[in-house]
Amino acid sequence: MQLFLISLAVSGVGALLALFTSKSEQTGKVLGCTAGTIASLFAIASGIGAITGPIQTTTAAMPFFAFSLRLDPLAGILITVISVLAFAAWVYGFSYFDDYKGKGIGVMCFFMNLFIASMDCVIAVDNVFWFLVFFELMSLTSYFLVVVEQNEASIKGGFMYFIMAHIGFIMITISFLIMASVTGSFEFAAFRTTHFAPGIASVCFILAFLGFGFKAGMVPFHSWLPMAHPAAPSNVSALMSGGMIKIGIFGIIKVGFDLLGASTPEMWWGIVVLLFGAVSSVLGVAYALAEHDIKRLLAYHSVENIGIILLGVGVALIGWAANQPLLAVLGLLAGLFHLINHAMFKGLLFLGAGSVLYATGTRNMEILGGLRKAMPTTAICFLIGSLAISAIPPLNGFVSEWFTYQGLITAAMTGDGIIKLVCAFGAVMLAITGALAVTCFVKAYGITFLGAARSDVAANAKEVPAPMRIAMVVLAVICIFLGIGAPLVVPALTQAAAVIAGQAAIDSASGAMLVNPVIDATISTPLLAVLLIAAVFIPWGIIKAKSTGGVSEEPDPWACGYYPSADMPLVANSVGAQVKMFWHPLYAMRDGLASQAPGYARAFKGIQNWAYKVQNWGDFLLVDPIAKFVDATAKLSSKLEGGDFRVYICYIVVALVVFLVLAIAII
Amino acid sequence: MAEFIIALVQGILLVLLAPLASGIARWFRAKVHTRKGPSIFQDYRDIAKLLKRQDVHSNVSSRVSRIMPPLYIGCMIVLGMGMPMATRFSPIPFLADIILVIYMLALPRFFFALSGIDSGDAYAGTGGVRELIMGTLIEPSLMLALFVAAIACGTTNVGTMGQMVGAGTVQSPIAFVIAGIAFAVACYIEMGKLPYDEAEAEQELQEGPLQELSGPSLAMMHIAVPMKQVVLASMFVAIFLPFGSAVDLSVAGLAVGTVVYLVKMVVILVVTMVIENCVSRVRWKFVGHQTWFVFAIAVCAFAFCVLGI
Repeated sequence: MQLFLISLAVSGVGALLALFTSKSEQTGKVLGCTAGTIASLFAIASGIGAITGPIQTTTAAMPFFAFSLRLDPLAGILITVISVLAFAAWVYGFSYFDDYKGKGIGVMCFFMNLFIASMDCVIAVDNVFWFLVFFELMSLTSYFLVVVEQNEASIKGGFMYFIMAHIGFIMITISFLIMASVTGSFEFAAFRTTHFAPGIASVCFILAFLGFGFKAGMVPFHSWLPMAHPAAPSNVSALMSGGMIKIGIFGIIKVGFDLLGASTPEMWWGIVVLLFGAVSSVLGVAYALAEHDIKRLLAYHSVENIGIILLGVGVALIGWAANQPLLAVLGLLAGLFHLINHAMFKGLLFLGAGSVLYATGTRNMEILGGLRKAMPTTAICFLIGSLAISAIPPLNGFVSEWFTYQGLITAAMTGDGIIKLVCAFGAVMLAITGALAVTCFVKAYGITFLGAARSDVAANAKEVPAPMRIAMVVLAVICIFLGIGAPLVVPALTQAAAVIAGQAAIDSASGAMLVNPVIDATISTPLLAVLLIAAVFIPWGIIKAKSTGGVSEEPDPWACGYYPSADMPLVANSVGAQVKMFWHPLYAMRDGLASQAPGYARAFKGIQNWAYKVQNWGDFLLVDPIAKFVDATAKLSSKLEGGDFRVYICYIVVALVVFLVLAIAII
Repeated sequence: MAEFIIALVQGILLVLLAPLASGIARWFRAKVHTRKGPSIFQDYRDIAKLLKRQDVHSNVSSRVSRIMPPLYIGCMIVLGMGMPMATRFSPIPFLADIILVIYMLALPRFFFALSGIDSGDAYAGTGGVRELIMGTLIEPSLMLALFVAAIACGTTNVGTMGQMVGAGTVQSPIAFVIAGIAFAVACYIEMGKLPYDEAEAEQELQEGPLQELSGPSLAMMHIAVPMKQVVLASMFVAIFLPFGSAVDLSVAGLAVGTVVYLVKMVVILVVTMVIENCVSRVRWKFVGHQTWFVFAIAVCAFAFCVLGI
């Protein structure tokens, strides 16, 4: 707990220092980034301690609401994830912020420090009031980071984000207020021990689910995400896509398992969550495929991965409602592990996209190509991230998707017809998602980094500075470790999931094996990796030794006899067009869904206009009559005070006479 | 230890015998054309000759193109090691999880398509993308069919599924049989044989992503592609037709199992050869219609599974 508080304090100090020194951008950047890096290291230490350690609480008396903090395993996981991302983002920022000279680097560091601190606080606070305050602070600070470029796209994206975040905020507030009115307390601790009536619990859960769903960017509330995330600086995009939208998932898990923990869960909660997850995953990746802006593509992939996480959470809720503790823990393990994994590889990919942007000045894949030669480190890191997000074994994305599939299959085996149907739907959607994600990242990596350069900016690109490379390598190594070292990580996560679900721990890993204990399914990523390396390199070595022809990398690619030019090879849109041809129903839905955020914006404008009109009503009813009365009195009095001194002398004489008469009368 | 030796033998024999499978298919095709045709060992000669040639890559290509062929072979060896072939159980059970198998097939596909783009050749790139889109179209059917089989057998391990089927303890047998049909068709499409060899569907796309490969790289792909077909056929046999395979490690059982496995493979090879020589290629834009039909079969299987029959 001390470490956590120190981290918050360092963030706060760093924010202020960066703000006060913002005249000199270099000083502001160094101070802000250094403080952020130190703060994130403290937060990582406190977060890892909280995952497996005992629940720690602390309360500081405040005049208004008690400021209570609580570090439980769920908070520990989220704090660790966000702090690791923050660490990478800060290290990356040492060089990357140079690209934003003249746009107020010190102020950006100020907002970014506050943003990270407010995310940490949202996770750790244990009180409705402070939760909402920090939730709002998180939205505001990230809004200012989205609009930092001050161009049309970023301001529009920021505005959409602002509107959607607040619609979600209202729903969450209503949900919490209902719970508070039932319990008569604003402390989460009181919610935790209260048994809510089934109807109230359902209303609270659905409101919170939808409200946090806005924050998480699940379909159909996703349209702000591809507008807002790409507009922010890339390391902030990494934090938003990898970290902030996870607060939405955190909220759903917290409300479902923790705050409503003493109530009776309903089966249909899990079904609703699962269906939203399935639809989000497949639509997110389908829309990503149609993009040629590399950061928008990644932002749509966040929608997809939120969907996959929700599949796991949905299975957990079903297991909890069906009173199957093993299934609940398995589903929660899948969801939480994918949450961690997504944060890592999506952070890595956004930093990679930021490096491309830094080196070439464009996010448009169509005019890139061939960057691997100039930027080898970035290319390798981006490839690792692409493989991980495509759920290619033995990397981390595969492990968590495997647990998700196992959760779905296990739930379908034990559940009734409806559960079977829902789980099969989820599994099929996840299969389509997996295959489309492979397509999408072959496109993203291939078109950007491979082949020939399609423009001068791509041909003249240079590798990014060391801090940016270090940040990417750190995340890439974590991705590999979480995949191949999964048997080391999964037991701790399972224990955490068991505590969150209030169940006994399950044996999800033994030795080098990963196990679904319910149906005894087993895989092993470390052994798979060893076998794979042996099976690739031994035959390759033999064939290399046998082949005597040597290697040539001379000729141009074949072009049907024409002279090959840079315009000939595949571009991103040619991939997108092919996919659209086969999956057009998915894209037909898109316009309807995409019109949602502008719809909310129009509604907001409407409310604004209405508010302009309404603001006069108060004047009409209250202020105007009083003003008129005062006016009339003033007019009357002005007749008395004509300004003529002879009238005043008359008044004085009259007054004297009256007082004399009074005096005589009294005596 | 004995299991690991079996797995190793399976992996090595898969590499060594895969060209025989493609050679037999070539020989059969010639017979259908009433040509004399090459011998069934012609593919070995082709590979031996290719190994001596220069390994030519285009001047924009990277290491992705270089590592793709051995990676493809490596993935197939690993899958072949885990797949129950002569035995009913998997020699290495942690490699025989259905979800792992499906995602392990995505690894070579990822690099196969990437190498097409990597070569800087528009046609190779297009062929690679077609390969990926075929994957997206067929994966839902594969997954749903295996999902039904997993629910019916109560496990996701290929070997354990085979044991359940062999023992006759499958929960909803009709659903299981229909899932088997859907899986067989889906596997056939995944094999990339006619009428679904869409990656090389046009004149310019001959050989798809392979067209920029030459020498040893091409030789490796000539080994790897039939390996994938054998792995898929073995998976179908191991789950849906495990009868006759060895249930323990006794020598007699293994011998019988090996013979039965080879007979099954030859039968499947004959069936696929007959199909691919009787049909013409599906037009690319209509592939989706046929894959959705396969998906409909898988949905039928699932409906029966929900009904529990």
